[in-house]
Amino acid sequence: MLPLFVALSHSWLGQYMQQSRWGFAVVEAIHLLGLAVLGGVVLVVDLRLLGLILKTESARNIARGLSRTLLASLTVMLLTGIALTSEEALKCYHSPAFRWKMLLLAAALLFYFTFHRAALLRTDKYQTNLWSRLAGAVSLTLWLGVGVAGRAIGLL
Amino acid sequence: MPHFIQHVCQLLYDSQFGTYIRESDYAFSIIESIHVLAITLLVGTIALLDLRMLGVVLRGVSVTRIAHTVFPLTWSGFAVMFVSGFLLFWAEAAKNYGNPAFRIKLVLLLLVGLNPLIFHTTIYRRVHEWEQLELSPWRARAAAIASLSLWSGIIVAGRMIAYF
Repeated sequence: MLPLFVALSHSWLGQYMQQSRWGFAVVEAIHLLGLAVLGGVVLVVDLRLLGLILKTESARNIARGLSRTLLASLTVMLLTGIALTSEEALKCYHSPAFRWKMLLLAAALLFYFTFHRAALLRTDKYQTNLWSRLAGAVSLTLWLGVGVAGRAIGLL
Repeated sequence: MPHFIQHVCQLLYDSQFGTYIRESDYAFSIIESIHVLAITLLVGTIALLDLRMLGVVLRGVSVTRIAHTVFPLTWSGFAVMFVSGFLLFWAEAAKNYGNPAFRIKLVLLLLVGLNPLIFHTTIYRRVHEWEQLELSPWRARAAAIASLSLWSGIIVAGRMIAYF
């Protein structure tokens, strides 16, 4: 994986991010805007799976009604995230917090498009069950973990 | 008046508690992390209501249902943001006082507070006439755009405080 990070650091993007005065700050701010929206969507879908909000709407419809916004905000976060990484690629490569974040992100995404999706399809008939609650709780925990680990990159 | 405010900021900054947050190894970072992650609870939830009125998300669910669902989340987010934000300010008050990003953030916060005040006393009073519409009336859409822009500005300005 190391050559990938070296290449990212040497790419035009990495060079631009390292030399620009405000590049990092601006991209970081956009990353946070993406976080706001993505976090809002994940929160509402998972609280619905947990049976805490919008109980009379089907979880499937809620998730469907938010799916484009989820994908859009996720794309913004991934693209700005790559740009932020390129500014300090080698520091990220060696950072335990960064590794945790990538691991949790992979887990969150994998979970979201498999078990989480299956749980959403199953909770079509307005009720919640053990599976949907479990899916909601695991998803919230994983995403929170991504956020906490992400915050820790700048601190550790 | 500016002198008085500056004086209060200095008092907060020099206070035992403010100094503790600033100089502790973890306190400031932990509070700051809570402040950043709670953006999702405050801005993320209200943004969904705004996007619903703009016809972007959950078009099949009425505006009032979304509103009643997100308001408790938004308000708990606001409480977390207000407390954590005030603690961060307490620790850095004297530095924040002259920080342009911080000043812009405060002005935007004031404006974003006015927005729901106007919204709830005008177009939202007749929400039952339009709550089912996929696309809300233009006044509601204007309020939604104002809300999204102001909150975005607040997040950006807030992040920029550290760069001044």
